[in-house]
Amino acid sequence: MPKAPAPFASMKKGFDYGQAVAEAQRCLLCHDAPCSKGCPGGTDPATFIRKLRFQNLTGAVRTIKQNNILGGSCGELCPTPQLCEKECSAAGLDRPIQIGKIQRFLVEHAWATGFNPLEKGSARKEKIAVVGSGPAGLSCAAELAKAGFGVTVFEARARAGGVLRYGVPSYRFSPDFIDRELKDLAPLGVKIQCSKPIRGKGAVESLLKKGFAAVFLAPGCWEPLRLKVKAKVRQGVFAWTDFLTPLKEGRFAAIGKQLKGRRVAIIGGGSVAMDCAESAIKLGAKDVYLVYRRSYNEMPAEEDEKQDALRQGMHLLLLNQPVDYSTDAKGRLKAIRLVRTELSKPDASGRRKPVEIPGSNWELPIDVAIEAIGAQPARDSIEWSRSMKLSDGNLITVNPDTGETSVKRVFAGGDIVRGPALIIEAVRDGKTAAQAIMKRFAKKENAHE
Amino acid sequence: MSKQADLSVEFLGFKMKNPFMLSSSPVSNSAEMVGRAFDAGWGGVAYKTVVSDRIPIIHPSPRMAAYRPAGKRQLGVQNVEQTSDRGLKANLLDIMYLKKRWPDHLVMASIMGFSNQEWADLAKACVDAGADMLEVNVSCPHMTVEGSGAKVGQCQELVQKFTETVRNSCKIPIVAKMTPNITDITVPAMYAKKGGADGIAAINSVAGLSGIGADDWVPSPNVFGKGAACGFTGPAIKPIGLRCISELAKCHDLQLPLSGIGGIETWVDALEYLLVGATTIQVTTGIIHYGQGIVENMIEGLSDYMTIKGVKSLKELIGKALPNVHATHDFDLARQGIARYDLDRCVGCGQCYVVCRDAGGWALDWDAKKRRPALDEKKCLSCMVCSFACPVDGLITFKEMPKSYRRAETVTLGKELETQRRS
Ligand SMILES: Cc1cc2nc3c(=O)[nH]c(=O)nc-3n(C[C@H](O)[C@H](O)[C@H](O)COP(=O)(O)OP(=O)(O)OC[C@H]3O[C@@H](n4cnc5c(N)ncnc54)[C@H](O)[C@@H]3O)c2cc1C
Ligand SMILES: Cc1cc2nc3c(=O)[nH]c(=O)nc-3n(C[C@H](O)[C@H](O)[C@H](O)COP(=O)(O)O)c2cc1C
Ligand code: SF4
Ligand code: SF4
Ligand code: SF4
Repeated sequence: MPKAPAPFASMKKGFDYGQAVAEAQRCLLCHDAPCSKGCPGGTDPATFIRKLRFQNLTGAVRTIKQNNILGGSCGELCPTPQLCEKECSAAGLDRPIQIGKIQRFLVEHAWATGFNPLEKGSARKEKIAVVGSGPAGLSCAAELAKAGFGVTVFEARARAGGVLRYGVPSYRFSPDFIDRELKDLAPLGVKIQCSKPIRGKGAVESLLKKGFAAVFLAPGCWEPLRLKVKAKVRQGVFAWTDFLTPLKEGRFAAIGKQLKGRRVAIIGGGSVAMDCAESAIKLGAKDVYLVYRRSYNEMPAEEDEKQDALRQGMHLLLLNQPVDYSTDAKGRLKAIRLVRTELSKPDASGRRKPVEIPGSNWELPIDVAIEAIGAQPARDSIEWSRSMKLSDGNLITVNPDTGETSVKRVFAGGDIVRGPALIIEAVRDGKTAAQAIMKRFAKKENAHE
Repeated sequence: MSKQADLSVEFLGFKMKNPFMLSSSPVSNSAEMVGRAFDAGWGGVAYKTVVSDRIPIIHPSPRMAAYRPAGKRQLGVQNVEQTSDRGLKANLLDIMYLKKRWPDHLVMASIMGFSNQEWADLAKACVDAGADMLEVNVSCPHMTVEGSGAKVGQCQELVQKFTETVRNSCKIPIVAKMTPNITDITVPAMYAKKGGADGIAAINSVAGLSGIGADDWVPSPNVFGKGAACGFTGPAIKPIGLRCISELAKCHDLQLPLSGIGGIETWVDALEYLLVGATTIQVTTGIIHYGQGIVENMIEGLSDYMTIKGVKSLKELIGKALPNVHATHDFDLARQGIARYDLDRCVGCGQCYVVCRDAGGWALDWDAKKRRPALDEKKCLSCMVCSFACPVDGLITFKEMPKSYRRAETVTLGKELETQRRS
């Protein structure tokens, strides 16, 4: 893979030992700790910080890795101000403990010292199939392997990791980091078969027929939502998947050539839009406009992501609804057609709804547009099972306590159930399903006795 | 790597699942507390010092004060707590209950007599209650009952006499608990051995004054306008405890199993005590600071350490560092080194420069433009004070210099110094 250009090869450094210990020193060692309740994935920060405080570094790593197979990645990528750190008691004195940074330090410390607490459980006869090697799939696979199940992960793409591999830009999260985190899985003996998509009618049922005792579906949401426009644009409009993923595949030159020195509009207000905006700036775009139909406070992106992108030089174009593109005679993008909006009453999401202001249409001349307005399950996913219950957007419906779908012995989790969500939530879902699967087969064994 | 290493250890014939014990103090004041501690993972207890009902014990109030130099927390505790203020019967019942409910856990009853006869009576009573062994407390530095505690421990003949009394009153093992408030801790330990002690515990609290009120001029704890030199404990006393254990372990004539106490809060502290010769580990202030739960990290941390190091049994660690504890005249003075700076990581605070100039060899120059120190290797004393001040972990380390290295002599006041100052 070609080396990433400098602006993309600059993942932030983590804490060193001294910084981590000093930060842990601030922890109040809370009784009944609220931070641990604030972690959706059950990584249990209060315990690993306490262990660090008492010089039990191996134990701290064990806590993280047993609870969260992607503990290092989560430490770096979790929106902690909304999760564990939001609940931290130390905020009552001053500011929350930097839990994510301590978590990342501990995992990197384990890598530096060659400590890996993960072990395969004593082998059981049941084989489990996992579809997708993103956070949900990996978490489920690891949890089951620890309990001794034989796990095979089927991954459509060339390499494992899901969004961590093919989404999150390298300047935020380097490919080496996910490589290293995946290496920790080695002792568990999980088989990851890359470039092996499941597809076609009844693909899920046929996995069961092949002898897998259970299936966990975690293919994520990789079909980008698109603007509905009349213009036929032949060149200049990207979906976020056609932009961020090639960059993660190392195709900086091919993509960069189309953006360098150009005027770019990013459409959307979420985290993915921020990643697109920053990436466009780093590729040398002349002007990067973020076009969003509501106001700053309604943008779903995290505050620090918004600030980062603004600092990099992104222009914010708020309260503007894209309605169409216009092109030159050859179908090359020339401008984006916008209409100004104003906010009215809150809608179902609790955010104030944007309403178009009649007669306020205008055009912003641009060379490239990148649409980052959401993602949904792959189109063909509806045919994978004949009878599986799906929700409106073709997300899979599961029992929230077990992750089981309407098809028996078939479980699902991560973005395919929640829609675009978080890594740590995907990790949670993988564990929930794994635990339900373990329980199911524990019962079976007892019944035989 | 998830299996726990074998932390079991034998102390005076009693097989413990791990070496971690509550020491005799408020943390071992009742069966309820001790029982919870056993369930949390502690392997044994030195039960809070039991006394007869003849002289009622009233604790001064308040009992303790925190040692907080310049606002730093949890470094030590200053206390004037006495022996148990509970009735003898209540304590004996609790000991009995503990032994019934947790027979695998070591219950060592700490006792203190205020007369020769009381030592004998208490010993017998605790044996009857089922204690596995006795700890002879001749080491509390702040007893309000005259002529007891460390006063006894500082008088060798009495140490021997009372130990003998206890020895003659029972058959179970006796551990004598030593005060560090003495010149040479091996002296009273030898007298305890002569009196029949089977093991030595050390240290009890260090007599100290850890704070004086700037407004009222009263030492803390401030007991209604009065303070006293009294027991100081916690992480700040660990160096003293380690030193005492190593001296006891190295004492050629003593050769008794040791129980290490003083400032232990983590598995690393515990390991250090084991390495200088302790067989068991006792804790008070660590629990006063953080609760009984610290034992979980002691167990997991020590267990992982043993697994990683390939140590099969705790016994292999006991006294392992003793061959490296030398008299200073054994040092090889021909080998010399200096401080090594990894300046790529320097943040430019200049602390190294300040302390080297004022407390070291004046071996640093300060580049005010770059905000970086520059070391003159010839002048470096290898005192290492700069490394204490540097805020960046591991930036300044020690390195050995070749045999040809010669340190420059410290300049003499006069002309030489004047020229240097001008340059
Ligand atoms: C650009 C971007 C940045 C993000 N940044 C963050 C962040 O900083 N912090 C955070 O918490 N969350 C972030 N997220 C969200 C987070 O990455 C997702 O919620 C999470 O990855 C979902 O995990 P998953 O396992 O469900 O799916 P994915 O990570 O999408 O993994 C699904 C895997 O399944 C494979 N697959 C798909 N179909 C098939 C098939 N038919 N057969 C076999 N395999 C298949 C895919 O190739 C993929 O490898 C980000 C998302 C994006 C898109
Ligand atoms: C409040 C308090 C009360 C104590 N009471 C006793 C006691 O009754 N008998 C005894 O032998 N030691 C007593 N000690 C001493 C401890 O057992 C222990 O030797 C000392 O605190 C050093 O260990 P540490 O640093 O872990 O606290 C007491 C210590 C404290 C702080
Ligand atoms: S809530 Fe904050 S202060 Fe309390 S244990 Fe968690 S990290 Fe520490
Ligand atoms: S996994 Fe994420 S949310 Fe959970 S404790 Fe770690 S950083 Fe916080
Ligand atoms: S003390 Fe450390 S960080 Fe500060 S100037 Fe000296 S070397 Fe640099």
